[in-house]
Amino acid sequence: MTDPDHDIAEALASLRPRAPGPAVTARLARELDVPASRRGVILAWSSGFAAIAAALVAAFVFLGGVSEPEAPQYQLVHVEQSRPDVQFFRPVQMDDGSFARPVRVRWQDTTRWEDAHSNTRLINYRPNDQLTLLPLETN
Amino acid sequence: MPDAHADQDWRAWFAENGARLRLIARQWTRCEADADDVLQEAFVRFWKHQRHLPGNPNALVVTSLRRSALDLLRRGDRRAAREKVVGDDMESVTWFEPEADPRLAALADSLKLLPAEQREVVVLKVWGDLTFDEIGEQLSISPNTAASRWRYAMEALRKHITARTHD
Repeated sequence: MTDPDHDIAEALASLRPRAPGPAVTARLARELDVPASRRGVILAWSSGFAAIAAALVAAFVFLGGVSEPEAPQYQLVHVEQSRPDVQFFRPVQMDDGSFARPVRVRWQDTTRWEDAHSNTRLINYRPNDQLTLLPLETN
Repeated sequence: MPDAHADQDWRAWFAENGARLRLIARQWTRCEADADDVLQEAFVRFWKHQRHLPGNPNALVVTSLRRSALDLLRRGDRRAAREKVVGDDMESVTWFEPEADPRLAALADSLKLLPAEQREVVVLKVWGDLTFDEIGEQLSISPNTAASRWRYAMEALRKHITARTHD
């Protein structure tokens, strides 16, 4: 069977989308080319909320104590929680003879902070991995 | 699309794919500046964190673009000056390079006139290089709905360019 839309689809594919301007490439270069020590983007990996909170409190205290006008003042601009990945495992027998099904839930929390003045960003990724047991009733 | 999993230079990959990615961003945004913002944010996220993930890199980068476009639409702090140029932008800036063939020029103009739900299917299929199954996943619709929108869009485009070339 022939596709009646083939000619239109083919003509569409021959159109040439306008390329991004040099300004876009320059902005990408600022984020992707600059050495880690100067890139202005700080990636902080941590596995617990306590570590994040401690880092933020430390930064806040540090910035609050310094009177330099150039000191970054981060504003929270984006918060995101990824869709959780849920895995169910085979039921297991507990010490008391009851049964439970282990469930593993993994997701990622991301917060992005920006300082417009210095054009720097703080991106905080927090991977979460929890294993819980769902009690099963047996008859 | 070349393999984005390999350790290649982002400039080479972007030079090859930037135009079509920008078109995908453009049809989900209200003006040229917003499209550039979405493209930048989505590409940086894709290149830094997602290109090594298993799966079709096309689908990954399109997901990243859609997420950034939706984030931008939800944000309420867009500058007023930028909002002001939206109307002019839609009229004056073309999405494609100029075409000498009047039929192709009519087709390029007609794409913008399609309903948004049909246009996004066309753009994702032709320039996103996605299947109807993948388009369905991106847009949270069934593959049959995606295919149906594609057929309606082809019909509409055929009518548009026939009318334009007979004027």
